[in-house]
Amino acid sequence: MKHLRRICFLAILFTVGFGSSSFGQTYHAFVTAESDDEVYQVAFNAETRTGSVSDVIPVGQWPTENEGPHGINVGLDGEYWYLSVAHGNPYGWLYKFKTGSNELVSRTQLGMFPASMEISSLTGLLYVVNFNLHGDMEPSTVSVVDPEAMSVVTDIPTGIMPHGSRITEDGKLQYHVSMMTDELMEINAADLELTRRLNLAPSKANSKSASQSTMQQTSMTANPKVKPTWADPHPKKDLVYVAGNGSDEIIEVNTKNWKVQRRFKSDDETAPYNLEVSHDEKYVVASYKGTGETGIWNLKTGEEVAVIKNSRNITHGVSITPDSRYAFISVEGVGGQPGSVDIIDLQKLERAEVIEVGKQAGGIMFWKMTQKP
Amino acid sequence: MKNVITAIAIFAMMLGVQSMAKAQNNSDSKAKIVVKPSQLNLNVDETAQLESFVQDANGNATQDTVYFYSRASKSVSISKNGEGHQVKALKPGSFELIAYAESPSGDRLRAPVKVEVAYPPITNIAFRDMPSKVYTMTSTPIKYKVTDAKGLARKNADVNLASSKPSIASVDDYGQLQAHKPGTTTISATAEQAKTVWQLKVTENPVTALELTSESQEGRTGHVFNFNATPKNSAGNTVDGAPVEYSFIAKPDDDLGEGTSGQIQQNGRFVASKPGLYKIVAKSGSAVAEKTIRVNARDVQKNIKMVGHGLVSDVHTSDLWIWEGVDGGDYAITGTWGGNGEAYFWDVSDPANMTIIDTVTVDARTVNDVKISEDGRIGVITREGASDRKNGIVILDVSDPHNVSVISEYTKGLTGGVHNSFIYQDHVFAVNNGRRYDIIDISDPKNPETVSRFELDTPGHSVHDVWVENGIAYSSNWDDGVVAVDVGSTPNAQSPERHDTGAGSFDNPVKLGSYTYPSGWNHAAFPFKSQSTGDFYVVAGDEAFPNGLHIENQPTEPAGWIHFVKFEDGWDSPKEVARYQVPEAGTHNFWIKDDTLYVAYYNAGLRVVDISGELMGNLYEQGREIAKFVPTHHKGKIPNAPMSWGPQPYKGYIFVSDWNSGLWAFKIQEPSQGTN
Repeated sequence: MKHLRRICFLAILFTVGFGSSSFGQTYHAFVTAESDDEVYQVAFNAETRTGSVSDVIPVGQWPTENEGPHGINVGLDGEYWYLSVAHGNPYGWLYKFKTGSNELVSRTQLGMFPASMEISSLTGLLYVVNFNLHGDMEPSTVSVVDPEAMSVVTDIPTGIMPHGSRITEDGKLQYHVSMMTDELMEINAADLELTRRLNLAPSKANSKSASQSTMQQTSMTANPKVKPTWADPHPKKDLVYVAGNGSDEIIEVNTKNWKVQRRFKSDDETAPYNLEVSHDEKYVVASYKGTGETGIWNLKTGEEVAVIKNSRNITHGVSITPDSRYAFISVEGVGGQPGSVDIIDLQKLERAEVIEVGKQAGGIMFWKMTQKP
Repeated sequence: MKNVITAIAIFAMMLGVQSMAKAQNNSDSKAKIVVKPSQLNLNVDETAQLESFVQDANGNATQDTVYFYSRASKSVSISKNGEGHQVKALKPGSFELIAYAESPSGDRLRAPVKVEVAYPPITNIAFRDMPSKVYTMTSTPIKYKVTDAKGLARKNADVNLASSKPSIASVDDYGQLQAHKPGTTTISATAEQAKTVWQLKVTENPVTALELTSESQEGRTGHVFNFNATPKNSAGNTVDGAPVEYSFIAKPDDDLGEGTSGQIQQNGRFVASKPGLYKIVAKSGSAVAEKTIRVNARDVQKNIKMVGHGLVSDVHTSDLWIWEGVDGGDYAITGTWGGNGEAYFWDVSDPANMTIIDTVTVDARTVNDVKISEDGRIGVITREGASDRKNGIVILDVSDPHNVSVISEYTKGLTGGVHNSFIYQDHVFAVNNGRRYDIIDISDPKNPETVSRFELDTPGHSVHDVWVENGIAYSSNWDDGVVAVDVGSTPNAQSPERHDTGAGSFDNPVKLGSYTYPSGWNHAAFPFKSQSTGDFYVVAGDEAFPNGLHIENQPTEPAGWIHFVKFEDGWDSPKEVARYQVPEAGTHNFWIKDDTLYVAYYNAGLRVVDISGELMGNLYEQGREIAKFVPTHHKGKIPNAPMSWGPQPYKGYIFVSDWNSGLWAFKIQEPSQGTN
């Protein structure tokens, strides 16, 4: 997906250079409503600064039970979008839908509570973490799926409660975190092997942690300090950014020397959950799940340049438009309160719009830009 | 090249739709993966080696790092790079391997490799359980088993059945052996090169008469008559092993375009759906016996009165529980579905004026299930969709239903959500994330403690609900059907079938038996020991939405029915003997008391059904329905749309929660005494 965003970004620069002021006025995205078993297709008209719901897609097999659509992403060719559904019998599922018509194409069974996912531009395979949020504290897997045939290619063993599957622009490396062992995990996308694991806790906190770079499964007791929940590689540099949900920080990891390079400390109880690096390399935008805010950090200076209050509590996901102009933020809400998608203007550093969606808005993914709504 | 493609992508975007995903870079279009051989034809268990490399636009091999995966790894496997790309055929069929690699300029290359795995030759065919001797004028189904060279059963094999002397015995188009006259013949079965024969002797049918008896010759619709036909020879002696076929001729009282009027099984059990005269016919060879019986209307229908209604219109209502409070009053609790995590407490002492007296709100979107302890002091509500994703159960002090308080929240190991629960002897059975049920000791309700779990080990297993009676937990498990588990069974759990009990306890649940059925719709389970016959059943209820579930604006048309399952020869011998199926409607929760079934039949409303006596066939068609009421309200969550969720008979009333309209109270009107 990032590979595509890069091309789109180049296209935007190209077009701006020719003075086309009306280009890309409407941005489209998908967002899950985890407690309504629905996916919302939303649109934001940048010219009028108004958002709307384009479609509501019911998902799942058991209508009276909550199956929990969680992670979402769009395929490389844009023909299909993919959805992880957390609760199954007992395993979760990966669903495949046609973009445009939003018709269900097929589904395949994954592991326990499958969550975030992305497709590698190099292999064409989809890598989805089996979060196993509600299971016993035991090592889980990353399922690798052929999205064309919707067949599971392999399950790669990883840490405890893996989350935040994101892949480098070249498609070669997949990163995710092991939430309950405080680790960043790296998978060779072509070889389908876990290649490196990095303990993210500060040295004092990780004295009982597994050693760095070992490929052996950790045997330590789950007692995480950082509770990392997301990893997103830099679009160009050998860096990965990690959301420290338990330690209230964003961690910058240098993947060349496989060490923590910087720690961006957010306010206490902000609990960063998801994050994404803007494609212009300027910002990392993080959802502060604990305080219902969106934090925007300047990557160059390491300073938090804005904290924007979200439309309701429990901020969840982040997806930045390819032109780095807007961040789409999903906000869960509490109880019967509907979820929302907050559109954050990354130039003005303010909330531009709120789109009402279903309960417990979670996974969110930018889809496309059009000139007309 | 890459830049060219990028420019093309940019141009496409300028034309209009800027689909991100369309912008995939497919440079190196002339580079390709070369795999040798390019396709494989293998036998099962055969292996082959693949060679592969990347070839550039000039035909030069640039690298040999090519990766593979199988699109059907359980049927054809391939080892990883570095192990020589060894392919192994595991199952017959057509499959595909995918080779992928990075092009010289860093782009994605993929190539499919077809693998054809031949079906192993059929090597054996064998007749199964066929007699060496049959009587003339009888019909016998032919059974056989076909296996291939790998020992796997082949159910789709083309089998030719033939008789060497068709005038003695022939095989019809449906695989039935028809015995015509005395003699010997050879029945052959051929599949590919495999062949087997069955030497058959046909003897004159000695049966000259049948003695047909039944315990009664008059009954009501739904009554099961047990006929017994004894074959006799000319000397009047019983002929063992002579097959008997049963049929019947109906003369229903109402014969104007009537449909099916009855049903007979080949063990002699007959049940009629319509009043009338029925001639039961037993046949063995040329011997025939007949017996006519009279079937009268069951005549159990009664009027039902809607006593009271408590409208809930702003949220869907889920389950209910009615109980006598410690103050002697009568109370109800109802849950909410897809709302704000509320449970409502009602005073139903006067069912004509049911009012909400307290509300408990928890962090959840759905409070699906609500249960009250036998002593009326403890309540348990389940949580799904909690904002902190911890869900679990909430334990309530309901000793004063006007002022309900939360004693504790218990989420340990239950964070995935609890859909249903049951309270039994200070223990909560909590259905955990649809995966298993946890057994939680709540004798100290401030400090609940999980004492054990029960989880099936079948692939893709799940559990939906659990009900505990006499120390046996009866769970409903979708595809895995109903499952009985001993959690400390009591003598009352015994039934005439003498099921093994006493094996389990709360901390050591032991599976006793189970029953699955093809639809996989099993949603509820309830034990039923018939007061009229002593028979024991596990009654299974469906839930299905083949037409979807409409949460707003329009009614839903669910499907499904009630299954009556007997374990006549122990827990290992389940048999489904009857059903209750209302057409074009779907079941939800149900309750059984005193040989009466109360069903919340979703769009068909409340159904009250007489399930006394032996059960066979579709009870709906047998005039067993005592009463029905289809509750709707114009101000309901979905107006005028019945969606009955759960029933509970209580102190002469029937309380029903309806998904769209709240809480209802009904009373069956007993017919007035005397005559007119």
